[in-house]
Amino acid sequence: MKKILIFLAIIFSYNLMAAEIEVESYVEQTTIGLMDRLKLTIEISGSNATKVNAPELPAIKNFRNLGYSTGSSSSYKFVNGKAESNITKKFTFSLQPQKSGKFIIPPVQINYKGKLFTTRPITVTVTTGSANKAATSSTNLNRANNNNSTNVEDNLFIKTIVSDKNIFKGEPIIVEYVLYSRYDISNLSYGEDASFKGFWKEELYTPTQISFNTRTYNGMRYNTMKMRTIALYPNVTGKLKIPALEILADIRTQSNSFFDFGNTKRFNVISKPISIIVKQLPTTPANYSGGVGNFTINAKISDDQIKVGDSFTYTLAISGSGNIKQFDIPKLPAINHLRFLDPEISTNLNKNGISGSKTIKYLVIAQEQGNIEIPPISFNFFDSNTEKFRTIKTKPFTLNVAKGDLTYISSSSAQTTVKMEGADIGFLVNIEKLENNLITFKSWGYWLTVLLMLLTIPISFIYKKEQNKLSSNQNYYRSKTANKILRKYMKEATNHAKTNNQQFYGAAQLGLANFLADKMHIPRGSTTEKMVSKLSEKQVPAKLYQQIEQIFETCNQARFMPGGFSSDKIIQHLELLQNAVAELSKLKF
Amino acid sequence: MKKTIIFLVLVAIAISAFANTDVVVTEANTHYQNHEYQQALDSFLKLNNEGYINTDLFYNIGNCYYRIGQIGNAILYMKKALKVDSANRKAKRNLEFLLTQTKDKQTVAKDNLISKFFASLISNISLNSLAFISLIIIGMIIFIIHIIIHRFAQKDRVVPYFIITVLAVFLILVGIISNIKLSAYDNISTAVLLADTAIGFSGPNTEFTRVFTIHEGMIFTIEKEQNGWALIKLSNGIGGWIVADTFAKVSIR
Repeated sequence: MKKILIFLAIIFSYNLMAAEIEVESYVEQTTIGLMDRLKLTIEISGSNATKVNAPELPAIKNFRNLGYSTGSSSSYKFVNGKAESNITKKFTFSLQPQKSGKFIIPPVQINYKGKLFTTRPITVTVTTGSANKAATSSTNLNRANNNNSTNVEDNLFIKTIVSDKNIFKGEPIIVEYVLYSRYDISNLSYGEDASFKGFWKEELYTPTQISFNTRTYNGMRYNTMKMRTIALYPNVTGKLKIPALEILADIRTQSNSFFDFGNTKRFNVISKPISIIVKQLPTTPANYSGGVGNFTINAKISDDQIKVGDSFTYTLAISGSGNIKQFDIPKLPAINHLRFLDPEISTNLNKNGISGSKTIKYLVIAQEQGNIEIPPISFNFFDSNTEKFRTIKTKPFTLNVAKGDLTYISSSSAQTTVKMEGADIGFLVNIEKLENNLITFKSWGYWLTVLLMLLTIPISFIYKKEQNKLSSNQNYYRSKTANKILRKYMKEATNHAKTNNQQFYGAAQLGLANFLADKMHIPRGSTTEKMVSKLSEKQVPAKLYQQIEQIFETCNQARFMPGGFSSDKIIQHLELLQNAVAELSKLKF
Repeated sequence: MKKTIIFLVLVAIAISAFANTDVVVTEANTHYQNHEYQQALDSFLKLNNEGYINTDLFYNIGNCYYRIGQIGNAILYMKKALKVDSANRKAKRNLEFLLTQTKDKQTVAKDNLISKFFASLISNISLNSLAFISLIIIGMIIFIIHIIIHRFAQKDRVVPYFIITVLAVFLILVGIISNIKLSAYDNISTAVLLADTAIGFSGPNTEFTRVFTIHEGMIFTIEKEQNGWALIKLSNGIGGWIVADTFAKVSIR
């Protein structure tokens, strides 16, 4: 039932709104000649405009009413998917001026559904002769070409609308630049962007496409377009200049002939700079937040019946108009048993750019049971209306915190670590055995150890090389071991010689033969002759060669010739052998 | 026979010498426990004068000096103990404690994380353990070289070479740290103020402008010495000339 009522109310109000009409009057030119006719248009717009009766023109002094013509146009606009129809009905009266001078066209009254709509009066100057040559309108553009500049300025300009010219530091103002034109504009572009010195600037609106509205200004009809809307927050005091906006407008000129498609001419339109006065704030109180404007504060909590350990949200909302984005949020007093987490702050600005709200949301955790009061939170700002500092407060809240399932150990009552109560020097070290702490790097033992370890590398390397030679070269092995064999046989031979044994010769011959065989890399058991002949090829001293030959011969004689062995000569032969061996071992093969 | 007798005599002397020092140490400990700090200090100093270089000995001397109220000497000997063994935790803790007892607050330069890490790495490893580590690494490298010589004659040597490279890197690191520590050990420019106060002048004469006043226990570095004056630099960067006999250098001998 309620819903239906609301629905009906909406429909009804919509109808009421739709029933609204707008009435406007304007003239084509405010300056006309005595010979010209003044065209006064009464324009009625609104969805019900057709139902309005023709307006009755009051008797206008010094003008003669020559009758009227009507015309109507309708347009459809789609706003958010909803069609809105707009019908405009025009009644154009022709008025013949009777004499020259400055006259006022009185307001025209229109009665619609018992409501009276009144237009604004228009001042018209009537000059002698015809003033038509100065007339310009969007349908008469070829004249614009030849126009002098004053006329262009009259018909194409930017109006700067400032919301307030006398403000306090920090108080925002809205600056709106509106382009007024009576020409056919084909293209618009921005000139150089001015710097806004002394202001903190926020862009509120910039058009994305060219779209004109019609508006009456000084009794004349203009095409207007909002070029830019900004909010300015002055941050210095004194007389500040709001910079001008520069717009480059391409204006289509009317074609003079059938083959002329018309040209465009570029005009540089610059708005008039406007000065504002920024006043310094009076001495600020200590708790001043930095806010300038008109604000209200509101607080609410999500729940006032909670348990220990539960959380709730505490929301502070500061709304109003002013520098919403720039003030500091109110400080929270310390409240026992409640833990406020860092707030979540969101700022919402309305379309106008200077009003809106700032919402500060705290997540609060209850830490102890009982009744806890959240005190009022105050916010101090400068009221730009009364020009005084004002403190506004929230209402206090009382929370009822019940015993929860969780036992929450608050940081203040938590266990603390054992604190040091005093410090003293450490106790003596019991030296069991007093030894010098030597620096090892400075001791010879360290470096000797390192050196010894390093020495093992070349030793190991040489050893490995020897091993390799021995294993890969049989001859090398034999010549290497030859001396050993010779020594062995020599020992045996010496022993035999001492005991005057005949076997001395056998041992001597075998040892010498094997030694030579190994040294000269010939197979063992080669005949003595072969060995001797091989020996002769080597660079052996002739004396030694003869000695060896002699030894072999002597041995053969002693061993194989009957009576060749005599014990008297054995020592002599041993000496001979020892000499030869000594010589041989010096030799290199 | 003669040789054996001489050897035995030598051994006996050595043993008696050890026994003697042990007696002195126990004596000093007893004095200390009986709060006879001066006697304990005298005993420890006697050992020190005999040429013993021992971190615990220095530590104990520093302890005794603190007990008899000579904080400058206490700090000096803790610094000495740390010089011999920079990883000595007790001495470190005591030095920290002693520095809180001085009249001047001794600012310690705050390092960044990396230099802090290196500083702690350097101070927490004693020179001797570095020597030991270096010996082990050298031994390992040489061992692997032996293995390469004998076992890898015809084999691919990538793995042993890699291990050697890694070990060599470690050895270089140990070498660098050892070098830093050794130069710190040999550096005797650090000194501790023993006099109650010392006035820093802008030149080596009392006629110069006074720059600062420091109190007993202040640690600083000596930059220059001439005519009984020393140019010192405090840890906070202030420099000045003080009379040379007011301080003692942190040197082992």
